Amino acid sequence: MSSSLPPREGSLSGLTETEAKEFHKIFVVSFIAFTLIAIVAHFLVWSWRPWIPGPNGYSTSMLTDHAHSMLALTTSMFS
Amino acid sequence: MYRIWLLFDPRRALVALFAFLFTLALLIHFILLSTPRFDWIGGGAAVTPPGQMSSLPASK
Repeated sequence: MSSSLPPREGSLSGLTETEAKEFHKIFVVSFIAFTLIAIVAHFLVWSWRPWIPGPNGYSTSMLTDHAHSMLALTTSMFS
Repeated sequence: MYRIWLLFDPRRALVALFAFLFTLALLIHFILLSTPRFDWIGGGAAVTPPGQMSSLPASK
């Protein structure tokens, strides 16, 4: 008897399987784009002022020569 | 994983997500503005918090 039941119509949200897949595709792409932008923003802020101090405090402890050059580059891009 | 949208209404989920992210972003930005080191509007050089730098007392 239970095997003769048709597949359940409708879901809790009202979406069909196809609609859910379609929406999920857009959602994942948007999430990845958001994450990439956030990573870039964090990189820029870290090169501006790192937020985790080294053992000797903030002053240039985390800034190696490479970071100094990157900082000069990023600041020159925005000035 | 896409089956989550069979459970949760995408419209409500998106509204909730955007509201949450906006509130969180607002909170973080205001917290940063309230600190001397990460206040990007007040200007001035980076302020290093005291206590991190000095390892010895000034006297002796």
